[in-house]
Amino acid sequence: MADKPRVAIFDFTGCEGCELNQLNFEDQLLDILAHVDIVEWREAMDGQVDEYDIAFVEGSLSTPDCINRINEIRRKTKVLVALGACAVQGGVNGMKNTRPIDEVRQEVYGDDKYLFPTLPALALSSVVKVDYNVRGCPMTQIEFLKVFTSLVMGKEPIEPDHSVCVDCKLKENECVYEKGMICLGPVTRAGCDAHCPSFGQYCTGCRGLVSHPNLKGMEEILVEHGLSVDEAWKRLELYNANELEGVRP
Amino acid sequence: MVQFYLEGDRISEFVAHLMKQKPVYAPHRKGQKSFSFEKTENAEDVVLDYVRTMHSIKKYFLPPREELLHFDLTKNESDPVEIPMSEAVFLGVHSYDLAAVGRLDYNFTVGSPEKNYLTRRQNAIFIGVSFEPDKFHFSGSVGIRPEDSTGCDIFLTKLFDGYVLEILTDKGQELMEGLNLPAHDAGKPATGHFHQHIFVPQAKLSEVMEHSYDNPVWEETAGKCVGCGTCNLVCPTCYCFNVEENVDITATKGSRERHWDGCMLREFSEVAGGEVFRETLAARQRHRIFRKFKYISDQTGQPWCVGCGRCTTYCTAGISIVSIVNRLIGDYERAAVAPV
Repeated sequence: MADKPRVAIFDFTGCEGCELNQLNFEDQLLDILAHVDIVEWREAMDGQVDEYDIAFVEGSLSTPDCINRINEIRRKTKVLVALGACAVQGGVNGMKNTRPIDEVRQEVYGDDKYLFPTLPALALSSVVKVDYNVRGCPMTQIEFLKVFTSLVMGKEPIEPDHSVCVDCKLKENECVYEKGMICLGPVTRAGCDAHCPSFGQYCTGCRGLVSHPNLKGMEEILVEHGLSVDEAWKRLELYNANELEGVRP
Repeated sequence: MVQFYLEGDRISEFVAHLMKQKPVYAPHRKGQKSFSFEKTENAEDVVLDYVRTMHSIKKYFLPPREELLHFDLTKNESDPVEIPMSEAVFLGVHSYDLAAVGRLDYNFTVGSPEKNYLTRRQNAIFIGVSFEPDKFHFSGSVGIRPEDSTGCDIFLTKLFDGYVLEILTDKGQELMEGLNLPAHDAGKPATGHFHQHIFVPQAKLSEVMEHSYDNPVWEETAGKCVGCGTCNLVCPTCYCFNVEENVDITATKGSRERHWDGCMLREFSEVAGGEVFRETLAARQRHRIFRKFKYISDQTGQPWCVGCGRCTTYCTAGISIVSIVNRLIGDYERAAVAPV
């Protein structure tokens, strides 16, 4: 039998919630480990290695050191999978990118800002080639299992490109707007089985935008349901500031 | 025709009488303001006086998600999922939803008959109920009145207190045996008026659609539309689906699943190689409307829209199918009388 693929797991700027969500695979963890050898994972084990087949990478890139490290990971891995909103699109960290970087550094670090060379929070794909995405905040477990199984079998994972509304309708969820809430489901990429709307919450857009969003149309929907134009764009920027840079009127 | 009076106080007794014989699917309250068809567990939970459900009874014949087969890669074998034959009563169905079932029967019978749909559909018993049109219903414009009992085994017409119950078929008669209701000798009350109308019949609509390919309304609608697919997914006559195969975490076993899909979704028109044959939302809106009033309608003479108003009710962008169609009619009429 061929050697099992070697998996390494890394984190950048983020809350480590996506990694924690991997440890939360209580029912599937043994099945997962049957297919791969985990060779490097700071959050769960000791040691470092020189090569691996699949790298799962969490977090956004927000310092010069991050850029060096992600380049090194890319050199050592055959397949790179971005794990979660920060890694895929910059995530909530990206909100700081809507303000001048000096202003942000001043606010956070004060007079010591010169000791902390921070950059705008970037998605992994803006620096290195990302092969596949597992979206969500934290990363969507059902999607992780699909991507993982596809990689183990040597298949191309299918990345959904339809709205969360589709997942809601397939479950016949009462529309969040019917409950008087504001929801980003109409332009947010599905694949989470409409997790939040199914449990009484609204969609915050954590899985990123669909590939060709009509943002002007979405702004109109949000304004029609009571937000100001500014509030509407801030709501959209919560997870998608990088993608919306230069798009916002 | 035999007519009975079902008093308001006796509705639960009537539902319980049905439940003793067969599974009963009927409208229930859902969430804060919605209704949905559910399998009835308590007769008291059935709501016959409802506006509309998000999904029609289509979901019982063509489920939102269904497994078609299971496979085992280690043995290179697969087993189709067999659909059990079942008899169920669909209670509280509005005329437009039953008309939609008729349209689906055509779609799943003509050409290659679809076994899963037809097996589920075969023994269905329908008890219709009249409805009061709200601001989005317009089924009257496509020839479907609120009191229309076509396809029903029993039909209920709303009275001030209770319903006039008409038995229309032998199946309906069988269901009613053992429940004694008083005869209803008076007439039936008139049902309400529609607040929305498409102003011309299908014969004329075909002509209108023929000349509407380049109408600016498609671009204008696309400005508001975010392409979320809701209009397709709540439509009782939409029947497009996608088929996907998934392998479980053992990487040896899996299943082939089909789920509802919709022509408003970009993915729907994406083919191998990444080509998208209906790239713009304008093209997709046109396709959606033509699927309801042109393509199948040109073959059958019937609109494939039943006027339930769901696509408009549930559209977060407020796009109205009636407004689009009337705009096309208006533009066509004006062009016809304009001097060349």
